[in-house]
Amino acid sequence: MAATLQIFTRALQTPDLSFRTLGDARAVTDACGMPRLMRTTRFAEAEIEWHERRWLLALPLSPASLCMAERALLRIGTLRSEWITECRLLRGEMVWTGPTGTPQSCDLLLQHLPEGRSFDEALGCEGAERLLGELDALRGELRRLNLAHGNLHRGNIRWTGRRFVPIRYYDARFGAPERDDAAFEALREEILRQGGSPQAGDVEAPYEAGCTLTGHRWTSNLFEGLICVEDDAGYGYVDAQNRTVIPAQFLWAGDFREGRAEVQTPEGMGLIDRQGRYIIPAEYEIVTYVPAESISKVRKNGRWALFDYLGRRITEFVDDGERLGVWEEA
Amino acid sequence: MYTQSITRTHRTAFILLIDGSGSMSERIRYRGRTMAKSEVVTDITNGLLFELIERARRSDGIRDYYDIAVLGYAGNDEVWPLLPGARRMIPVTELAELEPRISRRTIECRMPDGSISLREVPTPVWVEAEAAGQTPMCEALRQTRDLAAAWCAHPAHAESFPPTIFNITDGEATDCSDDELIAVCEQIRALGTRDGNVLLINIHIAAGDSPRAVFFPSEQETDLPNRYAATLYRSSSVMPAVFDEAIREAKGPGAVPPFRGMSYNASADELIAMLNIGSISVKTE
Repeated sequence: MAATLQIFTRALQTPDLSFRTLGDARAVTDACGMPRLMRTTRFAEAEIEWHERRWLLALPLSPASLCMAERALLRIGTLRSEWITECRLLRGEMVWTGPTGTPQSCDLLLQHLPEGRSFDEALGCEGAERLLGELDALRGELRRLNLAHGNLHRGNIRWTGRRFVPIRYYDARFGAPERDDAAFEALREEILRQGGSPQAGDVEAPYEAGCTLTGHRWTSNLFEGLICVEDDAGYGYVDAQNRTVIPAQFLWAGDFREGRAEVQTPEGMGLIDRQGRYIIPAEYEIVTYVPAESISKVRKNGRWALFDYLGRRITEFVDDGERLGVWEEA
Repeated sequence: MYTQSITRTHRTAFILLIDGSGSMSERIRYRGRTMAKSEVVTDITNGLLFELIERARRSDGIRDYYDIAVLGYAGNDEVWPLLPGARRMIPVTELAELEPRISRRTIECRMPDGSISLREVPTPVWVEAEAAGQTPMCEALRQTRDLAAAWCAHPAHAESFPPTIFNITDGEATDCSDDELIAVCEQIRALGTRDGNVLLINIHIAAGDSPRAVFFPSEQETDLPNRYAATLYRSSSVMPAVFDEAIREAKGPGAVPPFRGMSYNASADELIAMLNIGSISVKTE
């Protein structure tokens, strides 16, 4: 059983006894002394103060939650950019005693919360022209990094006084930064609507959101004729006419690139083709497809190997992923 | 069956029945301290209520993913709501709006070197402990049957994950025979939505020196300790496959589903595990 929110709360109340690295952290609490928790679909979060800085500490609500974030976080942690906030995956960070009396632990995600204001607060104190310019700067930087945030909205972006910095990289993906285009346009419209009258040159052509799909909890964009969607049964794919192509069944699924898409099942990650057939069986901890090279970087039991386009393993599994160029830019 | 995710349009319900009879004042060891069973159960119940509220919290506030009832039973056929206010079942949004009493609890923490450290932490309290009188479990189950039937009959709940009922007790019913108990439990388990029948989980807790415990037994574990354990087994739901992984993890390697939603002589920690498995294993939006 994954850690409960009660266990997370208790750990935030007793950090010196419950955290390996964050023992001297202090949770932000309400007037009653209770840590203030927040929830996304896959994570519970709490703000903490640690080493005189403010951080967002996130508890994955299931192993799959972490698996999805892990792939991007490991790479984001290596980026050097003023638009990217520091984030770390803390292995075995939270410790507690389970029902049978045995010690248990789980990983936590730590993200720095940049000093400054929320997006909404920025609208009230900065001119629209400046905010639009900085939004474009962020967009350009994410494109340069080839990084899509994946869930960019007003709650996931901070204004530092100099630039916008996104937070919560849980849905981030390398490759296809255009996945954020719709979100950037929505933020632009928000600035134009609430941030004062636009200056000459601020107005761009109306945003075309593309096809509008209904009946899904979440939809991605059209890639190679298929749209990744999330339904109650999980993730799957529909065509541009919203007809089911690959039924919703996955815990998570990525967009198609070069006829391949990464998918997550309870048994692990794999790679499928456009018919939904497994090219790499869903039994690995991480599968990252690199369309530019037509290879997949695959992790099992913490060791890495490369697979070719047809799903054949082309290297041995090795401990040091860097030997295989695993963390080079895709 | 049992595949519906919990969403605002497909909410589910949790009903907790808590034995408040005199025997619940018996003291047991819990988190390093000796406490009355009634105090332990209410502490664990308050923890579950906290968990459900926080799991329903999103950036736009608490969302109505659950309806919740907590009923106590004791004395002479007395069954009453334990949550503040007179209503038996309330949405989680209303529960979150109630101002819980904040209790400062001393908890025992084991340090890395094995030594013990005591810490005082604030804890919200919605339900208070009570222990007096007999065990009118059958009447409590009858009233729960009617509550669950009304919930399932509501058109908005037709497609929902069905209600889960936890009956937490430390003894035998004093208001019925075994056959009558089994009959009313069968009536409860026959209720349901299009996603499946109501789940009834009977949790019998014990003092620390009790004989061997039964915990989510599988069909292979037919060697139950006594008649009452067998009655609880027959009274409880077969857990659907969605819970198998969590139950296997709690029971340890080698456990083979299907599992029966019951325990006999469970410890406080096993009670926590059963409530967690029964409540938060189901996928919530």
